Amino acid sequence: MTPEEFLERIKERFEVDAHISENKMPHPRKRVWINVDRAEFKNLMKFIKEMDPKAQFSIIIGEDRGEYLSAEYHLELFYEQQPSLSVIVATSCPKDDPKIPSLGDVFPSSVPYERENREFLGIEFEGIPDPRRLFLPDDFPEGIYPLRRDETGIKPEMIKNAGHPYKIGGAKK
Amino acid sequence: MNSRIEYWVKIPIGPIHPALEEPEKFIITLDGERIINVDVKLGYNLRGLEWIAMRRNYIQLMYLAERICGICSFSHNHTYTRAVEEMAGIEVPERAEYIRVIVGELERIHSHLLNLGVVAHAIGYDTVLHLSWLARERVMDILEAIGGNRVNYAMNTIGGVRRDIEEKHKRAILDMIEHYRNEIMPKIEEIFLYDPTVEARLRDAGVIPKRIAVEYSAQGPTARGSGVKKDVRYNEKLGVYPDLGVEPVTPKEFTGVIKGDVFDRMVVRVGELWQSMELIERAFDQMPEGKIKAFAKDNLILLKLKKADGEGIGRYEAPRGEVIHYVRANPGKDIPSKWKAREPTFPNLFAVARALVGEQVADIPVAIASIDPCLSCTDRVAVVDAKTGKRRILTERDLLRASIAKTKELNPEVSARPEVVGVGCPRGDLP
Repeated sequence: MTPEEFLERIKERFEVDAHISENKMPHPRKRVWINVDRAEFKNLMKFIKEMDPKAQFSIIIGEDRGEYLSAEYHLELFYEQQPSLSVIVATSCPKDDPKIPSLGDVFPSSVPYERENREFLGIEFEGIPDPRRLFLPDDFPEGIYPLRRDETGIKPEMIKNAGHPYKIGGAKK
Repeated sequence: MNSRIEYWVKIPIGPIHPALEEPEKFIITLDGERIINVDVKLGYNLRGLEWIAMRRNYIQLMYLAERICGICSFSHNHTYTRAVEEMAGIEVPERAEYIRVIVGELERIHSHLLNLGVVAHAIGYDTVLHLSWLARERVMDILEAIGGNRVNYAMNTIGGVRRDIEEKHKRAILDMIEHYRNEIMPKIEEIFLYDPTVEARLRDAGVIPKRIAVEYSAQGPTARGSGVKKDVRYNEKLGVYPDLGVEPVTPKEFTGVIKGDVFDRMVVRVGELWQSMELIERAFDQMPEGKIKAFAKDNLILLKLKKADGEGIGRYEAPRGEVIHYVRANPGKDIPSKWKAREPTFPNLFAVARALVGEQVADIPVAIASIDPCLSCTDRVAVVDAKTGKRRILTERDLLRASIAKTKELNPEVSARPEVVGVGCPRGDLP
């Protein structure tokens, strides 16, 4: 299935904002970027899984974008053909209601990434089968999300000898 | 009434292993010798790289990415530069692409030789460990000659590579391939493909069925050993790899069957050693002359990237599986607004944790070693008897002893002593 056909089939079923990018390697490579509302997000992922039951889940890229939090999911489809289909599905949630449906029952391999994004960015994945912490220690303070850029991020007084290598003790003024 | 008493014990394995980086912990629930459940806890060496990356510009990030891992340092650096190149639409000169292939495949050779030794060690064949690591020194010397360092060669830059491969390097690499072909590979094949003890020990241990490999998104040799035909170099049409004719290696081409056990994963690694050597030779045949980087100076890169807008994904098949990096530009600034990396051990760990369910305790070291993790945390194990509350401490040595005892059951001829690789745990046993 070519990226264009894939996008057409998605657009028949869902209202999405999507484009196809192409890079400049010796063998150009296309990627499908899909932006979808979080209400439709889980249905879209289920539909992708129906299209290719062997779809591989690669990564969740969570990001603090100021007013809202975004999560981008990279999937690889039809990898037994060359080239495979590289799909990035992005969704977002406002900071005062940071909820995205969990994909634990669609792609079991997404759970570790959801745990990671939950503790680092404070995105609540609704229906996550295993909400424990993965990377952060158990005694890490609640309500602090290290990768946030706002007041819930790491505070300067929490930092010792970190930051730029040439400004050791970066927190001190 | 059922008179049989059943109780489960929980064994934490890890988190410290001083010989290998990246400590992490497996919490294993046991019913007798059988594993019921495996839970993974990570983050014992969390360095906060993404947090640090919020304060680094594109060039500094390249060196930060390189230091994620000491063994696949080229892979991370390579993937990151690809992500930035895709984001900004930078074209890489063809010669640079070939140099990237050559260094990447040299790195794959050294990483796979390392893992062959580690797995042999986990089953008690220390001779194989020493000999395969001795063989690995040759490729490490080559990498040092090219990049000036045994690890962290810093070959890549955004838009090309930093050093050219000269005629003397080419001669040394071709000599090395000749040496490996004639001296090393026949011995490795003899051990990992045809030795009856190794086959008896590794066959049907740590089986990852194809269904679980797909469901848990296993990567690299772990997935290919289970029969998932997936290789980013092939699927992604990465760089000049399609011109070199790269194909995913599965155990089917060597042994005719795919079982997804430790043996199959080792067969894939042996096959990839052959494949890497062929790729290097073909790359030398086809390599054109010309420029090796798109920008003459680093500050030109920063100037160009300040104007960039958009996002890019870089993917590369590292020795352990798919590495994926994501970069999003921050127009007007030389610091990207987001950099995120994912290494292949992360999904592989959860796949092997799922696959260990139903296996025996003695298979834990070899199953974990067989995914070639950037860690091996069989260092110190406290067995707590749930019924009596008594505590018994097992060290890495005890676990190794259990693993070697199982090998000896199969072949009493094996003479190996459980020796700890590296310095061992400096703090010794728990009080």
